Amino acid sequence: MYATLLISLSHLQIMNIKYQVFILIPLLFSSLLFGQKLNNKFSVNGTVRDKSTGETLIGANVIFIGQTGLGTTSNAYGFYSVSAVSGNYKMVISFSGYQLDTLIINLDKNITQQIYLDKGVNSLQEVTVTAKKKSDNISKPIMGVQKLSIDEIKNIPVLFGEKDILKTIQLLPGIKSAGEGNSGFYVRGGGADQNLILLDEAVVYNPSHLLGFFSTFNSDAIKDITVYKGGMPAEYGGRLSSVLDIKMNDGNNQKYGVSGGVGLISSRLNLEGPLEKDKGSFTVSARRTYADLFLKLSQDTTLNNNKLYFYDLNAKANYKLGDKDRLYLSAYTGRDNFGFGSTFSLDYGNLTSTLRWNHIYNSRLFGNTSLIYSNYSYKIKINAGNNNILITSKIRDLNLKEDFQYFINANNRINFGLDVIHHNIIPGTITASEQSSFNNLELQKKLSLGSAAYISHEWSATQHINVTYGLRLSSFSALGPGTFYSYNDDGSTKDSTKYNSGSFVKTFTYLEPRFATSYKVNENKSIKFSYTRNIQNLHLLSNATGANPTDLWIGSSNNVSPEIADQIALGYYQNFKKNKYEFSTEVYYKTMQNQIDYKNGAELRANENVESQLLFGKGRAYGIELFLKKKYGKFNGWIGYTLSKTERKIDGINNNDWYNATQDRTHEVSVVGIYQASKRWTFSATYVYYTGNAVTFPSGKYNIDGHTYFNYTERNGYRMPTYKRLDVAATFQHKKTKKFESDWSFSIYNALNRANAYSIDFQDDPNNPQKTQAVQTTLFKLIPSVTYNFKFL
Amino acid sequence: MKLINNKIFILLFALAVITSCKKVINVTVNNATPVLVVQGNVTNQTGPYTVKLTSSVYYTEDNIFPPITGAVVKITDDSTGITDVLTEQQKGIYLTNTTVGAVNHTYHLYISTGGKEYTSTSTMPKQVFLDSITFLTNTGFGQNVTNPLPNFQDPAGIYNAYRFIEWYNSKPSKQIFVFDDRLSDGKYIARQLFNDSAYIQPGDTLQLEMQCIDKNVFNYFKELDGTDPTNGQPTSPANPTSNVSNGALGYFSAHTVQTKKKVFTK
Repeated sequence: MYATLLISLSHLQIMNIKYQVFILIPLLFSSLLFGQKLNNKFSVNGTVRDKSTGETLIGANVIFIGQTGLGTTSNAYGFYSVSAVSGNYKMVISFSGYQLDTLIINLDKNITQQIYLDKGVNSLQEVTVTAKKKSDNISKPIMGVQKLSIDEIKNIPVLFGEKDILKTIQLLPGIKSAGEGNSGFYVRGGGADQNLILLDEAVVYNPSHLLGFFSTFNSDAIKDITVYKGGMPAEYGGRLSSVLDIKMNDGNNQKYGVSGGVGLISSRLNLEGPLEKDKGSFTVSARRTYADLFLKLSQDTTLNNNKLYFYDLNAKANYKLGDKDRLYLSAYTGRDNFGFGSTFSLDYGNLTSTLRWNHIYNSRLFGNTSLIYSNYSYKIKINAGNNNILITSKIRDLNLKEDFQYFINANNRINFGLDVIHHNIIPGTITASEQSSFNNLELQKKLSLGSAAYISHEWSATQHINVTYGLRLSSFSALGPGTFYSYNDDGSTKDSTKYNSGSFVKTFTYLEPRFATSYKVNENKSIKFSYTRNIQNLHLLSNATGANPTDLWIGSSNNVSPEIADQIALGYYQNFKKNKYEFSTEVYYKTMQNQIDYKNGAELRANENVESQLLFGKGRAYGIELFLKKKYGKFNGWIGYTLSKTERKIDGINNNDWYNATQDRTHEVSVVGIYQASKRWTFSATYVYYTGNAVTFPSGKYNIDGHTYFNYTERNGYRMPTYKRLDVAATFQHKKTKKFESDWSFSIYNALNRANAYSIDFQDDPNNPQKTQAVQTTLFKLIPSVTYNFKFL
Repeated sequence: MKLINNKIFILLFALAVITSCKKVINVTVNNATPVLVVQGNVTNQTGPYTVKLTSSVYYTEDNIFPPITGAVVKITDDSTGITDVLTEQQKGIYLTNTTVGAVNHTYHLYISTGGKEYTSTSTMPKQVFLDSITFLTNTGFGQNVTNPLPNFQDPAGIYNAYRFIEWYNSKPSKQIFVFDDRLSDGKYIARQLFNDSAYIQPGDTLQLEMQCIDKNVFNYFKELDGTDPTNGQPTSPANPTSNVSNGALGYFSAHTVQTKKKVFTK
């Protein structure tokens, strides 16, 4: 059956995109209908939830005791389904941080069993109770994956005390920070734009605030974070190096609650409660920074009319329509506002919303339909003398997704689905006043259509071997209307063709195989292997250091080919001391095709011919990651170490030779320690050490018109100084009452007050113009901060 | 909600010691083989015109850039076909003898030195005239900054690029000011020349030289300006694309020149 499917899929490659989607649907269903014999087997299914809040629990283990291999995990909506021949079973449900629950199941027909788990009294107890099934990391064929819960990151110190998931994941091996205090990150040699960042399935195009220092994700609104550094399941696609899947809280469906916090930079407030008890809930979280409010206090007009703030608003609601249906609506909006008097202002932000419909087709088949809207835009206003100018740009996605999970039996589960996305990019519009020095300009909008169909099979082949394999067939088309240009090597226009609305200008179709397997040597050890191909059709053009809100996204086109990454990884996993310690190591090798760089002096802004400014080449990245984690106990934390190499070879750069990518850092160490000293006090510390980025320094100098300039010979031939930083934090928990709990969180960023290099610039020595000097800029030395958090229950 | 008011709006701030700081450090770099640096100009004003040849030096050396002497330097006017062999008047400074700069003429530069030959070509664009200089004061973040604006009419339908050189009270500014009419073709232009540090004060005299330059020269200065760290660090700085061949640094520019002066009064 799968062979037929494979063949059909490869045939589809040459067919017109319009038809692919429609042919795949019956194919997938026929595979389900004929793939199974369902005699005298019954299933138990339901949803796993937190008892006190009704929040669904993602990835909870549901197993039948004494029946080897009989078990499953709850999906992204908490849904589980286990099938077995009729009989009486003892079913155990466990989830990290919760007390396990045991139920007797009399399986003489298909039954529905909702499960409610209690939060663990303390984390010590948990070890003994649930040790039995705490070794998922060993048995499952998932590699390069890290899951974090908000509870886990709560105590980890961060810059300005702003809990930040994007900064916390940078403490994991293989994930590198894009710079001091920056929420941008690089995964296994990929660029910052090669991470697929999803918030309730919606793509977040710019995940940062304040030019990268804060992420757009308000931790109050977040339930669960999963990072895939490789071995992505077939349901994900569209970016080369990683997937960051962030899920928002559903809201308490039992009672109302208010929580919040007051910090150095921002304040937060969260409201949640039932729409109707046990049937539906809502949650709303808001966050705003207030640096500008202090500017307003100033008497100085040059200060008090400036603007500098950002805010985030997350909202989500869900409602049960019947036993088999549930609707979810989630929305996020956040915006940054900068204003420089009345002369200049910039505001930018994302708006996403997701409407989802969960439907349980039968006890084994779970389906979800999502309608997703995502919008990123910025607006610049300039009002200086004669020049009144408005610059706007936008990227807008409309996305329909259909995902199914078919729980065939305990050893087989099939995930399949469809994904159609329409992108509308408005690269830039300039509206200038009549007296202005500039013309009005409207760059052509760029339309494109991406579609994908995927199927993957999770298969427990033997007691020792688990396999997940799948295929993603993805297609991307640049659409008319518009004039499409082709270019000569020197960037001049060679040819242009006009396309009508709705016409397909260029279509790329690829098969993306995903394969992962694990071999369980014994209960505590396993060896894993994975191969992943990823295709990326949206590319971010950015030739400055760090994230810039005005960076431009472009789609693959007649001039820009899709980026392709192939990654193989081999891993060894071992647990010690009754699964109290987890150790893992992974070796990876990744090749990347059609990587983008820029010509000298490339004009990326307000340029209809921006595609003529690009250079293309390839990349490769390889490395080894070591990770040791102590999961439970009064003292827990982890140590991560990465040894890696990332190189690029671009036609027209560095004499076409391989060179170190900017994010190439040979060694990277991170240590995280959390110590729960008492019921009241928790202490934590993190230490980060890494080799400096590869940079270009001058190898000579010369003079033009009385000014010294530098002669650069090799691209990224030098290193920034080694980076080291220690952060510490202490949290004091007030005595909890039934109605109220609160804590104080104190933290010190860069506690050793080390001057780490943010940039190194070369200039004439102001005291001796005959000499040249290198000047290092340090952004943040020691920064203490305090945050007060509270919760009304 | 009363409870919230009572309990939470106790703002407690630890001092954020935002310590963005700079220090001079030692950096060990490679020593690139010195290369020829060309600064050649032909203008629409009366000659002679100069071609200055120097050499780049190691990063660690003093800022003394050795002149290249004894080179053969020629300029050929495409329109007249006349080749002018330049005379080395001072060490490394070569002057024209017969060349007369004129708009729409294309000039070829030829240099032979150290056993290598270098060539370049530049066309003097049609002159665009500077009408006046005005000033604009921007307010923000505790500072009032005044910048000069050249005022002129950009001719529609043709490519134009401009370079400006500032003198504050007769002291030349080292900053590069270039822009083209990519986004302002045919407009009456009054565009601020944003100064990094040398802000003009009331009573100061500003002298402004306006040059109409060709596209390659514009690209050269735009890229040269991009490597200047004071303009924000590019991801990976690289040498600007020179219009001189064979690996030389620098430029050869045929351009028009016009100068105006204005005193800034508040």
